[in-house]
Amino acid sequence: MNRTIVKAITKKDIKDIFRSRTLLLTLILIPVIFCLIVPTGAISSILYFNFDLDADTQKMLDKFLSKVGNEEILAFSLQEQLVYLFVNYIMASLFLLVPVITASTIAANSFVGEKERKTLESLLFAPITAKELFVSKVLSSFIPAFSISLISFLLSGVIINVLSYPTFMELIFPSLNWIVLITLLLPMVLILTILLNVLISSRVKTYQEATNLGGVIVLPIIAILIGQVSGLFFLELSLLIILSVAIFAINLVLLKQIAKYNDRHLLFEKQI
Amino acid sequence: MITVREVSKSFLNQQVLNQASFTCQKGEIVGLLGPNGAGKTTLIRILNGVILPDSGEISINGYNPVTDGHNIRKVTGVVTESAGLYHQMNAIENLAFFADIYGVKRKSRIHDLLRQFGLDEHKSKLVGTYSTGMKKRLALAKALLHEPSILYLDEPTNGLDPDGISMVLSYLKEYNYQNGTTVLICSHVLHQLENVCSSFSFLDNGHIIDSGTLPQLREKYSTAIKLNIHTNMKIENGHAFGFPGEQLENNHIRVTVNYKDQISFLLKNILVNHWVHSVTIEEQDLETIYFKVRSGQHE
Repeated sequence: MNRTIVKAITKKDIKDIFRSRTLLLTLILIPVIFCLIVPTGAISSILYFNFDLDADTQKMLDKFLSKVGNEEILAFSLQEQLVYLFVNYIMASLFLLVPVITASTIAANSFVGEKERKTLESLLFAPITAKELFVSKVLSSFIPAFSISLISFLLSGVIINVLSYPTFMELIFPSLNWIVLITLLLPMVLILTILLNVLISSRVKTYQEATNLGGVIVLPIIAILIGQVSGLFFLELSLLIILSVAIFAINLVLLKQIAKYNDRHLLFEKQI
Repeated sequence: MITVREVSKSFLNQQVLNQASFTCQKGEIVGLLGPNGAGKTTLIRILNGVILPDSGEISINGYNPVTDGHNIRKVTGVVTESAGLYHQMNAIENLAFFADIYGVKRKSRIHDLLRQFGLDEHKSKLVGTYSTGMKKRLALAKALLHEPSILYLDEPTNGLDPDGISMVLSYLKEYNYQNGTTVLICSHVLHQLENVCSSFSFLDNGHIIDSGTLPQLREKYSTAIKLNIHTNMKIENGHAFGFPGEQLENNHIRVTVNYKDQISFLLKNILVNHWVHSVTIEEQDLETIYFKVRSGQHE
């Protein structure tokens, strides 16, 4: 693999993100909404405003306590329990939307963007192997999406700890759940999102088609979020590890599929 | 050397190339001529190994594009009809990017090419703001970055003004002369290629219907020889000593003979009573030959 080529394409694509105001705005707004506005709003309203526990929230809390409640959690006050539930379970699934949305937005554009700008032909006419092209496109999405996710994680951490410290008198973030999420689940989810979107992007003719198809990847995250809110299941440590391993297996299958369809002629004919 | 033997290609039941065959010698500039949709672009794509032919044999400097496409792409430069440049980048960024892709170490080549193609003043402007002609010149600079031994040019003069056409074609001729680069130019603007290409291949409906140098094609498709004679003889009744003729302005006449041997006979007869200051054979231009080749095919 020619590293200079991979570096050149990746660098160009990442620079392009900064050149597109709309894309840049999306990539800034997503973490700001999910990792700044939502946690600030939720934690502040629980701890600092007269929080009124309605029947639904009470039901959710009861399910949470019955399923994951340990001695430490049960010893918390009602407000602390709610913050703990929000930070470690609801916020965790909301956080996963950041890598999924950012990576989808970037990766969906990877091949189809070159097609729409009529530059894919230039790349395919050049001495670039299809593998180098795919690796470059995956890296062009992974590097910014992973960086944004890490920044979002740090941002959430600061917000959560600043708002909750006066009540808990200790740093509640990151918990072991969060550490596993960041080190295991996040890279797996990112790779899955990128591989799927890059594959779709290499097969369709317009960016709109790519985003429509690639957007499906958000659904499992929404399902996880609904699971947390409804109390159907909770993103416990064991579930995080199982999910990471399962996605790892799916990624391997996807990689094999990409290697199979990783054909220059097919790529070219798909753009005609 | 490029050898193409009976290459066919279809897309969704539409036959784009139909047993196309032609040869291009090393260092030659070959004009691949044909109407829009004749299969010129498809042929270039097949020659560079980016799409596969359905059948036929191809050899590019001894490599087969189907199996050795990567080696071929290393030594070829391509100018596509759409130029294939990044509009959101300026000229230097575009060339620097492709220099990395093609492994060009000498970065001064970027500035040399920008100067040679008259783009030095515009090197920092976004390519999206360029005129079509400027994009075409930059695309050519991009194709020449790695000093390729084969150049494929798909409609390289489309969108260029007369000065641009002259600049690009004379540069290509000079470049070919200095480096011995094999050049394959696809075009349907025939008069531009007449003085640039050393031979021509005519592509129609996916098939090469004829090939040859301009003299060879003239010989083959000439049905008569038109003589432009500067003389004080006047043409009367549309004939001159039994040959069809017409009176032109300023003591010029045009007489059509069938064979070269008849030229001496005609001149001898004119000189008996008139002066003759000059005689030129009006050569058939490429465009005339092109239509003759194609009409022969469609008859």
